[in-house]
Amino acid sequence: MEAIKTIITEHIEWKNQIFKLAKADIIKTYSGAALGWIWALVRPTILIFVLWFAFTYGLRGGGPVEGYPFALWMIPGFMAWFFMSDMLTQGSNSMRKYRYLVTKMKFPISTIPTFIGLSKLLVHLCLMVIVCLIFICMGYFPDLYWLQLPLYILLMFVFFTGWALFASMLGAMSNDFINLVKSINTAIFWLSGIMWDVNSIGIPWLQTLLYFNPVTYIATGYRNCFIYKTWIWEEPTQFLIFLGMLIVMWLLAIWSYKKLIKEIPDVL
Amino acid sequence: MNKDLKVIEFKNVTKEYKLYKNSKKRFLGIFSKKVKYKKKLAVDDVSFSICQGEAVALFGKNGAGKSTVLKMITGVTYPTTGDIEVNGRVSALLELTAGFDPELTGRENIYLKGQLYGLKDSEIAELEDEIVAFAEIDEYIDQPVRSYSSGMKARLGFAVSVNIRPEILIVDEALSVGDKNFRKKCLNKVNSIIEKENVTLLFVTHSIGTAREFCNRGMVMVKGKVIFDGDIDEAIELYNKQ
Repeated sequence: MEAIKTIITEHIEWKNQIFKLAKADIIKTYSGAALGWIWALVRPTILIFVLWFAFTYGLRGGGPVEGYPFALWMIPGFMAWFFMSDMLTQGSNSMRKYRYLVTKMKFPISTIPTFIGLSKLLVHLCLMVIVCLIFICMGYFPDLYWLQLPLYILLMFVFFTGWALFASMLGAMSNDFINLVKSINTAIFWLSGIMWDVNSIGIPWLQTLLYFNPVTYIATGYRNCFIYKTWIWEEPTQFLIFLGMLIVMWLLAIWSYKKLIKEIPDVL
Repeated sequence: MNKDLKVIEFKNVTKEYKLYKNSKKRFLGIFSKKVKYKKKLAVDDVSFSICQGEAVALFGKNGAGKSTVLKMITGVTYPTTGDIEVNGRVSALLELTAGFDPELTGRENIYLKGQLYGLKDSEIAELEDEIVAFAEIDEYIDQPVRSYSSGMKARLGFAVSVNIRPEILIVDEALSVGDKNFRKKCLNKVNSIIEKENVTLLFVTHSIGTAREFCNRGMVMVKGKVIFDGDIDEAIELYNKQ
């Protein structure tokens, strides 16, 4: 309980600095490049284009889903994955990246994963604007289902901020953990239904198992807005399972925070 | 101004470092208590208090636990047992680079540090020119800090730390950087903020001359214990004897 209170008060007291640090994190990532932060958008945009090209003219395997070209089906889930992938790897590295805040001054270190998450979130929001524009250009206009998007973005942000807190504490203790996360990152990508339709799996127990994967839930959620036209309350089981996973994630985060807060400054 | 107000108080503070054989063992140690580690007692049952406006020198050989004491005052590291109370804005020069982000420019770092110390942007803007002038890094201020020489980093670190209106100033060897003129300038600056702004100073050094210049109270640490706390001249004498 004590730990939860500390984490919350630290975030409230340092809210201005959190936003400043998030801004500085973006500036820092792209400083020294003439085009600056535009690079944050260039990489995913090129990837979208390549995927669209490959799946429209090259590999003919992916047929249209729900009347949408396969490339368009893939893009929303892929964009969500970009954020999640960044949070998985860079989130677990965040204490190490900002070790000067941990070891050189008094700083509420529970906020480090938060401002890293915010910096990634901002890039993600810009990308989602591009995604919306692509859909509009292709003739698929916004409807009420698009309004759910902010909710899914919020759920994703909260879940992965919890992950980043949990993972960065462990990552600060040992580099092995960071390497572990990096190695399973690709596996998570292929197992979570970013590239294939989870609903098309014929094996019921496997489909149920995938409900427990938050990455799948979020990617599918993005597609519910753009492609499947499903409201979040139409799939209550999945939603409740995700909420359960969210709570578990934060319990783990609080456990690792409480356990390691006093050791990390000595180790880093 | 209140000479009786305790700004730093240590009550039976002990700090123990856990030393694992390697990083794998340390990682396993998170989940299991069975993993063995060696204990290193860095600070051993230390109690003292420092009042507002005092200037205290802390002597001790390498490994005596001085830096650990300073780190605990700054709030960077936590005591294993015991209580620490600190009242006031602590500005610490623990290491030369003093927490700069190497990828940001000098100017951005000034703002970042100022914000982290709780100053408003308008306040930092007021101090900015003074800091840049004091650090003597002129046109380099808009270059990333990673391109700075160690002397430049130290000067900027010092300039920021003394100019952000600290209430408690902690200086760990940092005055031994830079050339003679800069060192003199630093000493004058420290002197003036102690006198004018009623700053509490905690000074760690091996240089006895500088310590005598600033401080009227000295503490000597040996192997994690404070063996003497009192008049500066006696402290120096005891330190020299060892």
